[in-house]
Amino acid sequence: MRRLSFSNGGVFLARLLVALLFLLPLLWMISTALYPAGVPLPTSIQLWPDQPTLANFSRVAELIPIGRYTLNSLVVAVLGVGLTLLTGSWAGLGMARLPQAGQRRWVVISLAVLMVPGIALWSTRFFIYEQLGWIDSLLALIAPAWMGTSPFYVLMFYRAFRRIPAAMYDAARLDGTGVLQLWWHVALPIARPTLVGVGVLAFLFYWGDFISPLLYISNPDFFTLPVALQLFQQLSRSEWALLMAAATWATFVPLMLFILVQPYFARVSDPGKRQKKRAGADRVATSHGTGR
Amino acid sequence: MFRRLPLPNFNYQTRLRLLLLPYASGIVVLVLIPAIISFGLAFFHYDGLSPPRWAGNLNFILAYTDELFNLSLQNSLALIILPIPLRVFGAFLVARLMQRNGRLINWLRATIYLPSAIPGAAYALAWLWIFNPLYGPLNLLLQSIGLVPPAWLVDPGWAKPALILMSFWQIGEGFLVSFAALQDMPPQLEDAAKIDGAGTWGILRHITLPLVAPILLLLTFRDAILSFQESFTYILLMTNGGPYYSTYTLPLFVYEQGFDLLQFGVASAALWVMYAVTGLIVVFLYIIARQWNIGTTDETFVL
Repeated sequence: MRRLSFSNGGVFLARLLVALLFLLPLLWMISTALYPAGVPLPTSIQLWPDQPTLANFSRVAELIPIGRYTLNSLVVAVLGVGLTLLTGSWAGLGMARLPQAGQRRWVVISLAVLMVPGIALWSTRFFIYEQLGWIDSLLALIAPAWMGTSPFYVLMFYRAFRRIPAAMYDAARLDGTGVLQLWWHVALPIARPTLVGVGVLAFLFYWGDFISPLLYISNPDFFTLPVALQLFQQLSRSEWALLMAAATWATFVPLMLFILVQPYFARVSDPGKRQKKRAGADRVATSHGTGR
Repeated sequence: MFRRLPLPNFNYQTRLRLLLLPYASGIVVLVLIPAIISFGLAFFHYDGLSPPRWAGNLNFILAYTDELFNLSLQNSLALIILPIPLRVFGAFLVARLMQRNGRLINWLRATIYLPSAIPGAAYALAWLWIFNPLYGPLNLLLQSIGLVPPAWLVDPGWAKPALILMSFWQIGEGFLVSFAALQDMPPQLEDAAKIDGAGTWGILRHITLPLVAPILLLLTFRDAILSFQESFTYILLMTNGGPYYSTYTLPLFVYEQGFDLLQFGVASAALWVMYAVTGLIVVFLYIIARQWNIGTTDETFVL
């Protein structure tokens, strides 16, 4: 077999090409959103419109109350994330401080719940929300936060809190620190990268959730952006510039969030051998201006 | 803050355990009870309005003799069996490529995750446009290099490959998990192999891959279960099961039986297949976790 050993420049080039490939769908979506309405779409490949315009966005706002839907999405995402961080980090801390056997039991329970296919819960959750009076209210969309949204997030917290040395917990306890104080003053500050990581993932989940509003919301006043996109698709089929403008609008907030927390993401994705990598990760974070 | 605890005088351990209460009760109300109800609902006629009536095994007969059910099952399997392992392996390769530090590395890594951050509905509309047979950028691109592009979502033979193709851009989670697993690997291993004269592919095949194999396997299962649900959003918005039922999958069958036809019993009977498959996967996972000692004992715990 031929030996493939790239030089540093070669590796960089390969990485750049792969990254560009991953950007392509987003690029196509945004560039189409900027096409002037009424002008026929080009029949040859063209990466950027000659005369980019934002007119499509205001046209979307004229056709559907997108502001209302955006507000609903924001409320659901903010409340969902807040509650998720609360219940998820509590559960993670509770798990991390259990005896070994208890920890193992909860990890197995969490993994089992993680494996339950969502479809299996669609209709029966509907009946339960109905009993609780949550149908046709934003509560039906925020409900998963009750259990930390996903056992995956709880396990992320568990993993972070487990790394805090037991001596630190014991010292706090000897000082007479209560459980909630321990959580707020000792556990959370140390697990800040996990907090940001779970926060971002949960935000993306609540912001993009299409199935819950589809199943549990029929009053248009409580529509969120994903179902609004479906509505809009039915309204203006094949008006591609408008459709892409609406899709771009729904993607804008996650995109901004993503750029904002990008340095944190580098650290969350690097939870391995911290001691070794820490110095490098911190340097990177500082170079983006968010290190403390 | 929190100077006075509102809790009665439990001892410390009990109060720590109470932190698990929201999570535990949430699991019971949102997962355990719904799962049990939908499990049992298969034996009843239920339209969501009048009280449920006993149906015996009629729902199973209705579901399993339905031609659409069989078709939906086949389509679901076709969308899972081949693409998921490829997706996971792709995520691993990209993670490997992005592993060591270099110029712009954090931005490049973030770019790989970016498509996974796009809301599902927006992603579906974007690809609906990309796959447009006449004006879609993909076909314009293919034409410009001299190929005769297919009609993608309009062609019953190409609709499934199209759905699979678009799923390859959303490997963010697999990428992050593989990446973390690779970071956990001591770099000395690869360096030693390099000194011994092993090539890039040799190292990948004989050293890196076997070490992260258990994690890739876990990812494969997780991906398989998640993609049932994710593909539903895309299929509902992009093809609605068509053309000619070529993308009609199990979630769509369950959705139509339950929320369109109000035959929740039949929908639940159809779900039994999913329970069986999921049960098998959980047992398999457990065995693998035992085998490789993944779980609570060591630091390789990533899932």
